[in-house]
Amino acid sequence: MGLSRREFLKRTAALTAASYVGLELPFTLHKEASAADVDKWVRGSCRLCGVGCRLDLGVKNGRGVALRGVPESRTNLGYLCMKGMLFYKVMGHPERLTKPLYREKKDQPFKEISWDEALDIAAKKFAGAVTAYGNDSVAYYGSGQALTEETYIFQKVMRGGLKTNNVEGNPRLCMASAVGGYLTSFGADEPIGSYADIEKAHCFFIIGSNMAEAHPVIFRRLMRRKLDNPDKVKVINVDPRVSPTSRIADMHMQFKPGTDLAILNAMAYVIINEKLYDEKFINDYAVFRMGKEKKQVDFAAYKKFLEDYTPEKAAAICGGNITPEKIRTAAHWFAKSPATMSLWTMGINQRKRGVWANNLIHNLHILTGQLLKPGADSFSLTGQPNACGGVREGGGLCHILPGHRLVKIEKLRNQVEEAWGIPKGRIPPKPGYHTVAMFEAINAGKIKAIWINCTSPAQSLPNADKYRKGMSREDCFIVVTDIFPTKTTELANLVLPTAFHFEKTGVYGCTERRSQLTPKAIDPPKGAKPEVWIVREWALRLAKELNDPVIKQCVAPFIGKEEGYELPKAIWDEYSQKLTKNRDNDLRGATYEVLKSMPDGVQWPAPTEAFAKTGGTVKKFVRGIDPLADKEAKDDKPYQFYGPAHKDRKLWIWLRPYKGPAEAPDAEYPFYLSTGRIIDHWHTTSMTGRIPELMRANPYAYVEVNPADAKRLGIKPGDMVEVESRRGKNVLPAKVYEGPIEGMVFVYWHDMHEDRMINRVTKDAYDPGSKEPEFKICACRIKRVSGPKPLKPYIVT
Amino acid sequence: MKRRWKFCFLAFVWVGVISFGTLSFAEKGPSILNKVGKAAGAAIKAVKTEGHPEVSEQEKLTPCFECHKEATPDIEKEWYNSGHGIANVKCYQCHGTFENMKKVPSDDNCYVCHANAKNHTKPGKTCWACHPAHNFPVKKK
Ligand code: SF4
Repeated sequence: MGLSRREFLKRTAALTAASYVGLELPFTLHKEASAADVDKWVRGSCRLCGVGCRLDLGVKNGRGVALRGVPESRTNLGYLCMKGMLFYKVMGHPERLTKPLYREKKDQPFKEISWDEALDIAAKKFAGAVTAYGNDSVAYYGSGQALTEETYIFQKVMRGGLKTNNVEGNPRLCMASAVGGYLTSFGADEPIGSYADIEKAHCFFIIGSNMAEAHPVIFRRLMRRKLDNPDKVKVINVDPRVSPTSRIADMHMQFKPGTDLAILNAMAYVIINEKLYDEKFINDYAVFRMGKEKKQVDFAAYKKFLEDYTPEKAAAICGGNITPEKIRTAAHWFAKSPATMSLWTMGINQRKRGVWANNLIHNLHILTGQLLKPGADSFSLTGQPNACGGVREGGGLCHILPGHRLVKIEKLRNQVEEAWGIPKGRIPPKPGYHTVAMFEAINAGKIKAIWINCTSPAQSLPNADKYRKGMSREDCFIVVTDIFPTKTTELANLVLPTAFHFEKTGVYGCTERRSQLTPKAIDPPKGAKPEVWIVREWALRLAKELNDPVIKQCVAPFIGKEEGYELPKAIWDEYSQKLTKNRDNDLRGATYEVLKSMPDGVQWPAPTEAFAKTGGTVKKFVRGIDPLADKEAKDDKPYQFYGPAHKDRKLWIWLRPYKGPAEAPDAEYPFYLSTGRIIDHWHTTSMTGRIPELMRANPYAYVEVNPADAKRLGIKPGDMVEVESRRGKNVLPAKVYEGPIEGMVFVYWHDMHEDRMINRVTKDAYDPGSKEPEFKICACRIKRVSGPKPLKPYIVT
Repeated sequence: MKRRWKFCFLAFVWVGVISFGTLSFAEKGPSILNKVGKAAGAAIKAVKTEGHPEVSEQEKLTPCFECHKEATPDIEKEWYNSGHGIANVKCYQCHGTFENMKKVPSDDNCYVCHANAKNHTKPGKTCWACHPAHNFPVKKK
């Protein structure tokens, strides 16, 4: 077992109340109805993380007053975390935005304007930029929390209407490396298996994930599996920081940040050299590849490549508690268990070599055949509720079109143009700016108008000050659609108030390829509007401004539709029926009617309604389970890898060398800095910071310092500590805790306060393949600046 | 503004004020796993007074368990070693926060996650009559 209670408490006990001295809370409390006291329950999905818990909203007198889990749901089995229990408090919150706000210049105060005026301004500014500076001078930056219908219609108007692929979104910051990993290893994006594998797995390999806090209800399923089978089930936790996830671990592997690629290759070394691999599986389904040219090599070349990663050599690279013995044990557990499931998230994805790290995890599964059978999978956890459904599948990134189509392939562009009834060649062939490049283009004055929807890049971009400077330029017109003021609305010209979850209708697609509908249950606050309505009305005005009927054509099928249900339904119908047809994420069976009839939605591929009603595809690529595996079969083998990226229909085992982080500690900045999510808060706290229970549970970010480092630097629990990098600094209260490995500090990233906004310190280096930034590692120095200080929780109001 | 350092004092006060009843299983299990599902505890005595002893706004910004480690160590320990503790189900999810605090929560709180349990709750009984708080043991089927 990982940590006994006594050990764990000893590690955490150093935190005293002193670090929590504070003042008034930035919210007022309201009386709520009790859960039993409701008029009706309306079924939907949780708004707040990638797990996709299914829940019922209790409605009383037209207001959301309670939430409860849905026991029949295959995602959460009825359980909710505190955020899922409490987010109804966001609805009807007195600080909700309800009026469009405008200012010509960013140093002026906002004034309230009408929707007509607001839409006119938005259309004129975008049209003006296009006319004066060209189509690529405008951009959309969206969110893995926007509904699929929203992302889809935004990108349709941008690409088909405004002729630019400058369509990006915050999933670039969290999921892009996982996409790259799945495409290059398995030939198709998104996990092969499902949450249902958890109850059948015998070994869990959790790497780069504090899922106990970031994916609480999935963690609960793992915990239950382990507690019910303490001897049968092994849990390996690989993380430079001991986290609440480590509590269920049999083995915790703690190493110098960034060296995990060496651990993964060393495990492969053991698997090969101790003959733990599944030879038949490899011969039947896999090839070995290396380099940019994807050159195919043989088993002997792979074996030779791994000689640089003997457990002894890897242990020397990794430091921490990594020993050759530990690596061998982990490899044995992984390979020999009846079914092994890996789970990871940002610790792997937010890395300079995030795609490679993903590949190296997939390698272990391909080598050992720990794939495709019940309980075995290489399963990337998604951070946001609709990063998979809306953005990865719906065409929400600069290089992809709806239905997992690449922008650069003409045939695929033409399919989309045909589905939209717009002229061939309308969608430009060049992908747009990826996220960091997009905000760099703003810094350089190249983007003249940007629409930021449902996200707060001013807080969530790495090296945030650099990009906030650009966003405050007067020559970049910024529209923000959101429900509350944020650090980003502070930099906007036009702020448009939107409807919240359950105040509009739409689909979220969670981690396990599952699409779930959340219908409108209550009215939005007067003045707030659903995004789909906003985009439609804006596009109609754009068409007039630019005198371009093709822009109108992009929204023509939706004109006149009622905005709460009919409009999103029409958008979903177009997307699912026309754009996912014959693609690997075929969602034609997942109509609104079918989704409404299911307690928990549908997993794609689901080409027909009859199949969708069974719940869809639990395991991709398996004949008899996945209808596309049967349809696309080219031989008699039970597994068929029909994904769009691998013409050879093989799984690819990659020769990927160990590479360290972009910025390693040095004499000047001797510490590693890493960041992460805390259980009580969602992202930038604009929502959870307004829920008293959640805000009080974690009112500030703090910096976790290893006791050995704290002792050396004279830092005591609660002391104010400066964390400084080459880019910026924070001053935060210290938590002295044997969480982070010696030489590393860790900061939660939710805090909006300028002093504690850790993305002012993080680095914007990114993976050359996925373009995902390396939030998880940079170099910093720390020093004690004072004893404990009274602090005030802060959210932008 | 006045800085207040009342942590130890508070802990002392709360031990006296909060009466959650006596808990009979203060022993430390060898591991978290062995404890869960095995421990049985005394039923909790319902406490008449709702709410929480008065604390300052500053002190309200302390996670509950930080004070209760000292104020009600047995309860904190039980919770910490339970499924709820490992899964990070926190005090406020059942007991609320200061303004809406319930020392003895209603069963409705349980049903947020355990809706099906309603089907086997005996009339007139609370959930914790059979699954004693704060580790809520469940009999293995
Ligand atoms: S685990 Fe995620 S999806 Fe489930 S209730 Fe919590 S925040 Fe919502």
